[in-house]
Amino acid sequence: MGFETIIGMEIHVELETKSKIFCSCPTTFGAAPNAHTCPVCLGLPGTLPVLNEEVVNLAIKAGLALNCGINYYNKMDRKNYFYPDLPKAYQISQYDLPICSGGIVEIEVEGVKKEIRINRIHIEEDAGKLVHMEDEPHSLIDYNRVGVPLIEIVSEADLRSPLEAVEYVKVLKSILEYAGISDCRMEQGSLRCDANISIRKVGQETLNNKVEIKNMNSFKELIKAMEKEEKRQRELYTFGEGHKVIQETRRWDSGKGRTVSMRTKEDAHDYRYFPEPDLTPIVISSGLVQSIKEQLPELPPAKKIRFTEEYHLTDKEVDILVGDKSLGEFYEGTVKLGAEPKMAANWILGDLLRLLKEKELGFDAIPVKEEALVKLLKLIESGKISGKIAKEVFEEMFITGNEPEAIVKEKGLGQISGEDVIEKIIIDILQANPQSVEDFKNGKLQAVGYLMGQVMKATKGQANPQMAKEMLEAKLKE
Amino acid sequence: MQIATMTIDEIRVGIREQKFTAQEVVKALFQRIKKVEPEIGGYITLCEEDALQQAIIVDEKIKAGEKLGKLAGVPVAVKDNICTDGIRTTCASKMLEDFIPPYDATVVKKLKAEDAIIIGKTNMDEFAMGSSNENSAFKIVKNPWDTKRVPGGSSGGSAAVVAAGMAPLSLGSDTGGSIRQPAAFCGVVGLKPTYGLVSRFGLIAFASSLDQIGPLTRTVKDCALSLEVLQGNDPMDGTSVKEVKTKSYLDGLEEGVKGYKIGIPKGFLQKGLNEEIAKAIEDSIEKFKELGAIVEEIDLPITDAELSAYYIISSAEASSNLARFDGVRYGYRTEDFQKLDELMEKTRTEAFGGEVKRRIMLGTYALSSGYYDAYYNKAQKLREKIRQQYQEIFKTYDLIITPTTPSLPFLCGEKVNDPMEMYLGDIYTININLAKLPALSMPCGFSKEGLPIGIQLIGGEYTEDKILKAAFALEEELKLSTIIPEGKEEI
Amino acid sequence: MKINVEEVQHIAKLAKLRFTNEEAEKMAKEFDSILGHFQSMEEVPLEDTKTSSKEEIKTVLRKDEAVIFEDKAKLFRNVKQMRDGYIQVPKIIE
Ligand SMILES: [Mg+2]
Ligand SMILES: [Zn+2]
Repeated sequence: MGFETIIGMEIHVELETKSKIFCSCPTTFGAAPNAHTCPVCLGLPGTLPVLNEEVVNLAIKAGLALNCGINYYNKMDRKNYFYPDLPKAYQISQYDLPICSGGIVEIEVEGVKKEIRINRIHIEEDAGKLVHMEDEPHSLIDYNRVGVPLIEIVSEADLRSPLEAVEYVKVLKSILEYAGISDCRMEQGSLRCDANISIRKVGQETLNNKVEIKNMNSFKELIKAMEKEEKRQRELYTFGEGHKVIQETRRWDSGKGRTVSMRTKEDAHDYRYFPEPDLTPIVISSGLVQSIKEQLPELPPAKKIRFTEEYHLTDKEVDILVGDKSLGEFYEGTVKLGAEPKMAANWILGDLLRLLKEKELGFDAIPVKEEALVKLLKLIESGKISGKIAKEVFEEMFITGNEPEAIVKEKGLGQISGEDVIEKIIIDILQANPQSVEDFKNGKLQAVGYLMGQVMKATKGQANPQMAKEMLEAKLKE
Repeated sequence: MQIATMTIDEIRVGIREQKFTAQEVVKALFQRIKKVEPEIGGYITLCEEDALQQAIIVDEKIKAGEKLGKLAGVPVAVKDNICTDGIRTTCASKMLEDFIPPYDATVVKKLKAEDAIIIGKTNMDEFAMGSSNENSAFKIVKNPWDTKRVPGGSSGGSAAVVAAGMAPLSLGSDTGGSIRQPAAFCGVVGLKPTYGLVSRFGLIAFASSLDQIGPLTRTVKDCALSLEVLQGNDPMDGTSVKEVKTKSYLDGLEEGVKGYKIGIPKGFLQKGLNEEIAKAIEDSIEKFKELGAIVEEIDLPITDAELSAYYIISSAEASSNLARFDGVRYGYRTEDFQKLDELMEKTRTEAFGGEVKRRIMLGTYALSSGYYDAYYNKAQKLREKIRQQYQEIFKTYDLIITPTTPSLPFLCGEKVNDPMEMYLGDIYTININLAKLPALSMPCGFSKEGLPIGIQLIGGEYTEDKILKAAFALEEELKLSTIIPEGKEEI
Repeated sequence: MKINVEEVQHIAKLAKLRFTNEEAEKMAKEFDSILGHFQSMEEVPLEDTKTSSKEEIKTVLRKDEAVIFEDKAKLFRNVKQMRDGYIQVPKIIE
């Protein structure tokens, strides 16, 4: 008898605004502790929140990008709980009337397409950061992040495996990045996932107790944490100890490689939500929604279709290129500048990705300019350098940022296309390898390969291979 | 200089015409304060040096012939729940005993921009919760008319200092009557503006959807003048009115009430109302008739249900607004604790007074899971109903008149042990906050014992001008504004 | 009794307040009287009450402009202890 895994995701995404949600403090990452704070975001007595217009716009944009309905009347609520990262002791969030409801995200896992439903998207403020000091009776608080605008995207429990869940997050991330809603940097915490996981017998209608897992800060940890939790629960059910799966929140401890219980339902909070009296309800006009819809750029699902049709790429190639906004933009940039689409794809998916991985660089940190790659491809096409040499040149471009022509010139890597030069070398090679010439004349055609290798070796790979091969064969047949 | 009885208008005109200097005003006032304050207890903090510095600046401006603000040289006392940059702001609570705000409330900024001089912070019920001023963590405020009696609350200090001649203008805050009730008890003019007319930025919140800042003064004209300075949209307060509805209240203040339609709620006179108050209100109504107003009875029940809605909403909001006081970042912190939870619990338990704790408990209960619909949600619906009722009435009527309080100032300690009895005293004022309307309380007579009686004039949204015109007309008839408590006239 | 001592203690926990059992008992009594009064809301028919119309609501928003609050010394003057720009507090155990 089989079990199935049920996963629902709650994803917090920091919106790309200049200022915080309720005050004018900047939102940029990495400032000195508490540099981006003011009386309002510190929740000092007497201060009041005023909602940032751009937060509403971006939340609507997210809703439209994820096929949600926009709630033309929505409102902010207070979620009350005491914790030192929350200076007002309540989080301003949305409870019963979120800004967006319903929605669909399509994912594809192992060739199977699937629609994942989104329950809601709501606006809320981020909390501050606590630094726990070891061997000291103190903790430190940095409130720079408090009041950074977030949207929380809540999915339905439609995901059936950790793999699907990760794919869902990837698709979501690429859509949000493309639409300019968030930079989605997991390592900086601007995209954070919580997963609700439960297991049930196949065919069972009702859901069993679910466990919420928090604190997964990369795709690698996300999949590891969910698989671990899935395994933990499956084992309990398999050994008839399903009752031990209690409704609780568990934190992923990446160091220990396991989830640790944080709190159980018994000591769950009573958040005492009520409408935020300091803010008027958010009434959205259809005109605003329309104009945001018009600003929405082409999103990954549409882009994938277009890439396949226009550039004749394989599904796999399209997936990788469109899967990341920066990479997709880089690719299209080179094509727009005149690169042959297939050739550009090969170089980007081959050498570029390999080098990025080796140097541990993100797709947003490609050190090669689009123009430079196009120039390199032109050098190959025009026969100025061979493909093999081009690899060397590209690596140099990647490290130094220099132009390909300059590298070719400086290193003397230009392809030898002069007929007399190549002819002279071929004559030398043939004289030095009488045995191979003999073999060829006796019908061993593979001898050509060996001789060709010798020619390339003698020219340090700079001989135009096509030309060299033709001339060599002609000479042998003389 | 008879500083004790001087109005804002007299002070600002005198300074402008150089009959006296701003420094003379401030010095005279502090002399007066030193004499009277020990008996009254209206101030928590006095800023004599700062005030003198400010006075010097005003005097220099006059000498230099520079443009002067509307309130140049006028001393102002500010309720101690309104933030003042660099001046301790305590909310009369042990919790904020040493709290010094890093910014000025918008109203304080506006006063300073008009060259007014902040002289001190007034005593109040802790976090503005109370109707007697007995909930101050520091000291009780006494009613200047009879020091055995309470001055009302929660702006008791603000009302008492104006009544006792220790400030010509004070700021109060009104959540359910906290300006009007002490104004009535102390025989001064107090206005609660329409919700949104005056910025709340910098007012330490009690109940965000009900709180409004307003002036307490000796005369209606002073009230009008002060409101002109305090009002207006504030980008720091998302609930302050956006469109320009601000008016000049001095213009046409003397126009009178001829043709005004005034509604008197049917049956309010019977509702456990003190007889002397009833008589004084009836006399004032007669005066309005004589002045040409049309007075009619209206159907506007004043019920216990409304009082319930008020206490639920205000306590619920308060429970959330006061949660930030936990001893972690600022304010009082308990000495002895092991874990963070203990730090928060003990801090709050030690630093909040009984009434504050009671309201936090009540509010937490009303919002807690399982009770939200029965209490908070129902109260909100009731509030909406009340608001619509008033809106309907103000389609036909210019004003509604009621007493401000059902009883005369009571004795200190008389009601401290019965919170419900204390809450019932707010029956005439709380509806106005629920409906977000403006209302003014002014003296309309004295009891046989010589205690002041207040009358409440209520208007439709943003009709402070009508209220002030009517109040001015009544004041002209009654001539009560120059009377100050016996034995307190001389400097 | 509408509310008992245990309930008072539960609410106290939510509100981060502490009461001795005697205090809780006194509060339960006061609550009884107050909650009794709240029953008065039951007598008011509310079904016919319209919720405030959406046309009446004017959403207040601010422009997305960043400004830094410069005077940090003033901003943190009420904090008990700062350390390298952080607010230092007693140990918080997760
Ligand atoms: Mg959330
Ligand atoms: Zn801020």
